[in-house]
Amino acid sequence: MAKEFLGEFEEIILTLVAGLQEDAYGAAIAEEIETRLKREVNLSAVHVTLYRLEDKGLIKSKFGGGTNERGGRKKRIFTITNSGLAMLKAMKEARIDLWKLVPQLQIA
Amino acid sequence: MKANPPRGALRMLSWFCPNHLYEEIEGDLIQQFSRDLKKFSEVRSRRRFYWNMIRFFRPGILLRNKPTTRLNSLDMFTNYLKVAFRVMLRNKGYSFINLFSLALGITAFAFLFLWIQNEFTYDQFHADKDRIYKAWNRVNANGKINSWDVTARVLAPTLKEEYTDVESAISYTAWGEQHLFVRGDKRIVKTTGAYADSAFLTMFSFPLVKGDARTAFKNPQSIVITEKFARELFGDQEAFGETVYIGEGGDGLSLTVTGVLKDLPANTDFHFEYMIPYSLVEKFNGKETYWGNNSVYTYVKLKPGTDISNFNAQVKDIIKIHTKDTSVHEVFLYPLTKMRLYSKFENGVPSGGRIEIIRLLGVLGVCLLMIACINFINLSTARAQRRAKEVAVRKVTGAFRNSLVIQFLCESILLAFGAGILSLAAVYLGLPFFSRLVNEHLTLEFSNINFWIGGLSLILIVGLLAGSYPALYLSAFRPVKILKGISLSRTGKSWLRATLVVIQFGIAISLMVSVFVVQRQINYVQNRDTGYDKENLVYQYFTGTLRKNYESYKNELLQLGAAESITKTSTPITNRWSNTDGIKWEGKDPNDKTLFERIYEDSHFATTVGLTVIRGRDMDLEKFPTDSTAAVLNEAAVKAMGFTDPIGQVIKDNGTEWHVIGVVKDFILTSPFNKVEPVILFGCKQSWPFSVAHIKLNSANSTQENIQIMADLAKKYNPDYPFEYEFVDVSYARKFANLETTRTITVLASFLTIIIAGLGLLGLSTYLVEIRVKEIGIRKVMGASVFSITNMLTWASVKPILIAVLFFGPQAWFAMNWWLSSYPYRISIGIFTIPLAALSVIGLAILITSIQTIRAAKANPVNSLRNE
Repeated sequence: MAKEFLGEFEEIILTLVAGLQEDAYGAAIAEEIETRLKREVNLSAVHVTLYRLEDKGLIKSKFGGGTNERGGRKKRIFTITNSGLAMLKAMKEARIDLWKLVPQLQIA
Repeated sequence: MKANPPRGALRMLSWFCPNHLYEEIEGDLIQQFSRDLKKFSEVRSRRRFYWNMIRFFRPGILLRNKPTTRLNSLDMFTNYLKVAFRVMLRNKGYSFINLFSLALGITAFAFLFLWIQNEFTYDQFHADKDRIYKAWNRVNANGKINSWDVTARVLAPTLKEEYTDVESAISYTAWGEQHLFVRGDKRIVKTTGAYADSAFLTMFSFPLVKGDARTAFKNPQSIVITEKFARELFGDQEAFGETVYIGEGGDGLSLTVTGVLKDLPANTDFHFEYMIPYSLVEKFNGKETYWGNNSVYTYVKLKPGTDISNFNAQVKDIIKIHTKDTSVHEVFLYPLTKMRLYSKFENGVPSGGRIEIIRLLGVLGVCLLMIACINFINLSTARAQRRAKEVAVRKVTGAFRNSLVIQFLCESILLAFGAGILSLAAVYLGLPFFSRLVNEHLTLEFSNINFWIGGLSLILIVGLLAGSYPALYLSAFRPVKILKGISLSRTGKSWLRATLVVIQFGIAISLMVSVFVVQRQINYVQNRDTGYDKENLVYQYFTGTLRKNYESYKNELLQLGAAESITKTSTPITNRWSNTDGIKWEGKDPNDKTLFERIYEDSHFATTVGLTVIRGRDMDLEKFPTDSTAAVLNEAAVKAMGFTDPIGQVIKDNGTEWHVIGVVKDFILTSPFNKVEPVILFGCKQSWPFSVAHIKLNSANSTQENIQIMADLAKKYNPDYPFEYEFVDVSYARKFANLETTRTITVLASFLTIIIAGLGLLGLSTYLVEIRVKEIGIRKVMGASVFSITNMLTWASVKPILIAVLFFGPQAWFAMNWWLSSYPYRISIGIFTIPLAALSVIGLAILITSIQTIRAAKANPVNSLRNE
């Protein structure tokens, strides 16, 4: 099977799912992106990406409890699967390999 | 205070968001909204909520909706189709009845529809059709307004000159004169010519293949011909710009072909193969400026934006203004687009026309389709019990009523589709015959997308019409009752079925009555005494030199013994030639506007055609040379003039005095359906009216011998023209052509109705017998006779038909009386027609049902009662 590749936004989401653990659901992830990366992101884009990653088998989901803040609606909590983790690691290593090719920055 | 998220937005989200994702998305949206509230104003947060919601309307979300459900229903559809096929195959007999009767219904409907559609396209293809009008005359005669569309020749040029709203106005005639065309050694005689003013070609959209429509008739000595005629006359050579010689010897003239027309389409009421400009006629005869002579059609094209009612008000008195006479008729314009279907006028106002027939045909088509649908409804509801278990099991395993309705609709649409394919083949094969029958050029346009859309929607409509009631009925079963074994009431909703059968047979009986009435009317009129003897009577038009050589031709025919008697006249005895309300006689009421038909004869007309002379004598020029100014009246004319002793009276026509020498018995001149018109036979004082010879063949010889002698003599005296003649009885029989078409259509329609309704009855009676098999067995065991059982079963089937007779019989009677009222000479329907029609239909019904019932009644009860 051909190797799957991830887009940049997908990679961010996947990393956040891995990082946020039990608190990884649509609205929380969107907020993390906004506060940490200072990047405007639309909720629907986050959702669509999450579903796509789930389709690819990189993350899985289960229902979590609702809070008052969200009108008692249940959350869908995403967790990273083994293949997702492997993918993330592989990507990170590939980046580092590539990074090594770059001449080290000279302090002027 | 906590603000609520907008409800409308959530509702919108629920429309497109997949169910399994809805809750979390909603939750996330609300969570974002509550966080937004802390940062922004409420209004702004709400706007952001809406915007965020709308952003979910994207393929990544939307496409997550369908896949599962779509796959599922596709599976169900294949299952429906499979079950439908199995059900059809299991009951081959019923499926055949359903399929065949639907196919018949659709075929009949399609034929009628094609015909009706064709009628509506007549002369609708002209680019400026909405601005083209035909001029009509209208006159108040004896308190009634008569309207007709033959106008004065001078009307068209006057309209063009004096009214600024008129773009062009033309006269048009197609009299059917004979013309001999000579081109090289080719000689062709044609009667399909027309005369028109030069603007004809630009007014109407008859495209020219060669030539310029604006200048084609600039020169009077020009002619425009159709492609077909050009091929006939010039073969493969180029016709445009060539000259063609019309007439013979020194009498003819050469015309230049200045235009070649594309052959006229079939759906136009203009019929001509060549057209000659009016300017040519006027070159020889001078301009006609007399307003009293109505002999041409006048077409007018108005400028765009002209209001027709205003224009009609202006043009009304055009004749009065020009003739300074107040009693003459008025002129009005009537749209070209309405000429075909709406050109009947009653007392000056439009009152239908051909459209009435078209509407009847439409009703007939819908009736035939309905009868076929009724078969399907009846058979499926009657046999509902068979499907009941299937319905119950489907419901128990979770089917909604909707999906069951869809299943049964699928079945009926599938059946309608099959029937549609059958009838497409039938229409394709039968169209040439049907076209000939109705005398129209009908085609199936396979390349036209509308044809397929129309066909498919027809099938869909038929499927829904036939299937919707059974679908609703079947899908309403309660599974608990059925699976417990409580059976449905045995005959189901039998009152509905009975009503439908009543309607079916009501239509069948009405059509049967119409067949009987039309047939009797035809027989009646065909047996009407014509007043003259059609046997061995031939007429021949004077073509070429026959007029000049008439006397020698006549003498030689008599000498050779081919003819018993010969008379030259103005017109064949089967045609009207000219009539007038201007005859004067002593004691005439000046307001009397009775029309008298004119016939001119030289001598012995009564003898030649076999009229009965009841007073005075026949004309005889040899014995009485004064007979050149003699007149012979028919009885109707005598009555109209009020003579007690007509012989010796003097009547005046066109300034000539004629003395009456005889009276003949009434005879039919025009239509055998009308009352006999007053006819005056005039002597031969003037020579110009004569154009026909009536020849009474010698009955001592065979017809072939006589005709051979005529042909030989015609060659001698009229060598240029082909030998043509017509038997009077053949010409007379043509007067029945229209009525015979009506007869064929009613016979066909009633035949179809009875076949379809009969098939339905067969299916229904088979089923009714089938479910009563045990009852019959028990009755027989108890001692019932075969006859009493047959009787009982037949009665159940025939009862609705008897009710149909009661309900529809009177209606049919009124309808046929209405139809007959358009024929002045007609039968009275009488009291026996309806019982007779009813009896024949009931007899047929009994015949059909008894096939089943007798077999059931004869069956050995052991077989039906053996197992439970």
